[in-house]
Amino acid sequence: MRPLTLRRLFLQCSLLAAVLFVVVVVALKLGAVPVSLYGLGRDLISVLLHQTKALSSDYGMIVIEIRLPRILLAIVVGASLSVAGTSFQALLRNPLADPYVLGVSSGAALGAVLALIAEPHLALPMWLAALFTPFGAFLGAAATIAAVYFLGQRQGQIDSSTLLLAGIISASFLSAIIMFLMTTLSGRDFRGMAFWLMGDLSSSLQASLRWVLGIGFFAAAGAIYTTAGDLNLLLAGEKEAMHLGVDVRRVRIVVYIAASILTGLAVSVSGAIGYVGLLVPHVMRLLFGSDHRTLLPTAAFGGAIALVLADTLARTVVAPSELPVGAMTAIAGAPLFIYLLRRGSA
Amino acid sequence: MPFAAVAVLFSGAAICHSQATAPPLQTPQAYRQITDEIGRTIRIPQSIHRIVSLAPNLTETIYALGVQDRLVGDTDYCDFPVEAQQKIKVGGAVNPSIEAIAALHPDLVLVTRSLNRLETVQALADIGIPSYATDPHTVDAIIASIARLADVLGASETGSTLAVDLEHQLSILHDRIASLSPRRVLFIVWTEPLISIGNDTFIADALRHAGAISVIDSSQNWPQINLEEVVRLQPEFLIFVESHSGAQPHSAEALADLPGWRLLNAVRNRRYATISDAINRPAPRLVSAIADLARQLHPEAFAEGPQNDKEQAKPPASSLSQSLAPNDLGAPSKEQTCAR
Repeated sequence: MRPLTLRRLFLQCSLLAAVLFVVVVVALKLGAVPVSLYGLGRDLISVLLHQTKALSSDYGMIVIEIRLPRILLAIVVGASLSVAGTSFQALLRNPLADPYVLGVSSGAALGAVLALIAEPHLALPMWLAALFTPFGAFLGAAATIAAVYFLGQRQGQIDSSTLLLAGIISASFLSAIIMFLMTTLSGRDFRGMAFWLMGDLSSSLQASLRWVLGIGFFAAAGAIYTTAGDLNLLLAGEKEAMHLGVDVRRVRIVVYIAASILTGLAVSVSGAIGYVGLLVPHVMRLLFGSDHRTLLPTAAFGGAIALVLADTLARTVVAPSELPVGAMTAIAGAPLFIYLLRRGSA
Repeated sequence: MPFAAVAVLFSGAAICHSQATAPPLQTPQAYRQITDEIGRTIRIPQSIHRIVSLAPNLTETIYALGVQDRLVGDTDYCDFPVEAQQKIKVGGAVNPSIEAIAALHPDLVLVTRSLNRLETVQALADIGIPSYATDPHTVDAIIASIARLADVLGASETGSTLAVDLEHQLSILHDRIASLSPRRVLFIVWTEPLISIGNDTFIADALRHAGAISVIDSSQNWPQINLEEVVRLQPEFLIFVESHSGAQPHSAEALADLPGWRLLNAVRNRRYATISDAINRPAPRLVSAIADLARQLHPEAFAEGPQNDKEQAKPPASSLSQSLAPNDLGAPSKEQTCAR
């Protein structure tokens, strides 16, 4: 393993940040209403200066209020899923692990649905109500990863294929419960089944939820990053890492909780989007190597880029209608996954 | 066929006296051939005594035709009129229990193409239970479909009276609003994600009858719509459908605080119309829902006297059903006398 130099980390991250910037600009330009780059720049500045009257066109507000927040949401959700996927892959030493495959996303979706059902009966204060659904999703995610972790063991050892099977079975079981709840509670008008099972980024988030999402992402991703060095040692095996002085138990708990928070946050605002957490870490590992000190940040950028691209396609290819973004990630992701599998790099 | 005999006896006992015009014990083998609305030729008994309805709109129609005593089973979603909830349930519309239907020994099962599945119809055909399918796509076709169903069920007279009455209500409405330019509206099926209606749905046609036109131009029936597109199109009114539980997280009021939604002039000015879920059902009540909507969208056309001229802000959702459409709940006055 090459020693980490700040220069290398900085170069990789600025390269990806540049790509992300280009992707975001393209995404901002595409949509139902036309917008020029110049007008867009001017509008952004006037909004930052709180001079909303000085917008370049009537459509300026559409881009600022609808398109931009949606792109930012795609960035945070994509980065969250990708970092969570990277963490699960490292901790389980299984390159096929990811929140969706392991059933963690479905568990988070079920937790969010249960929270939505319970919320009207609890008379929560406003500030708590905003936290309640993401918290339910986090609990669902954490409970699922714990269950899958224990189901995936054979004779006290994590067994790769048993683990994945346990995850897939859990995912289908939990999805079935979501379908059951959605069907029996058909009179209730909350987001539909397709949202929770396929993922969708079209929701308008309340301001409070935006804060929860942003702060939660940086806190959880930061917590995972503090274990990056230990995750590298864990690649050699848990016993080996322990001999090298890694507090495996602590790392495992920190990473599981933080990755559950990331998954729970992402799912509570966008449903269960697949393949981002699985594929992006792969691609980043191919491009930049498997040192988690660089892999975690590059995977965050990569996930953001991938999901902004996928969502831009989802909202433009069949305009004025749109597709669930999960359908886009699966259409693009599954063939890519098979390609990587056949190349033997998985 | 001992079962058939038992079934006929049962139905004879079940129907109420005023209508029990001689249950045909003599020839249960008297059949006739009819063609349903999806073009299938089916063979059904001369007179129908035991009906199972697999769609809420068909259940409503049966009550409107006054033949509810012959309805022996319906679905979990058949909630109107309230008495329909007391009927034996055979499951949901999409996945009814074929066994439960068979156990009721129906003469005829009623289905509607937009809701029920072909597999259900085939499974019924395999065990010798005939089913009649309706498939209306416009308001006029719905009225024609009701009259046609009345013929099949042997209630032709009630059916044609009902159809004439519904058409009459529509023409009164048409006269009132024909000169007004249609309102450009967004019909909201769902807010998260935003789902509206396509051109080919009967709801789109119902909107036209109510003096409105959907801003969404889509060939899908239930398209998921990009909010940007809606802001670009700036509908004059948003149309919400009342849900039974009344539990809408993004109620009309909450939308005003949501980013994106607050860019809609209709949201800023609270130009909302809320109608009963009868708008979602191709049944007789649809006409009163259309009238209710027209009144909310074009209050000026309904202002009765000078004192009402200024009262445009918020027409109460239910005010209309009494004034314009006394007969809209399916002409029950005569027929329901025999219900207990």
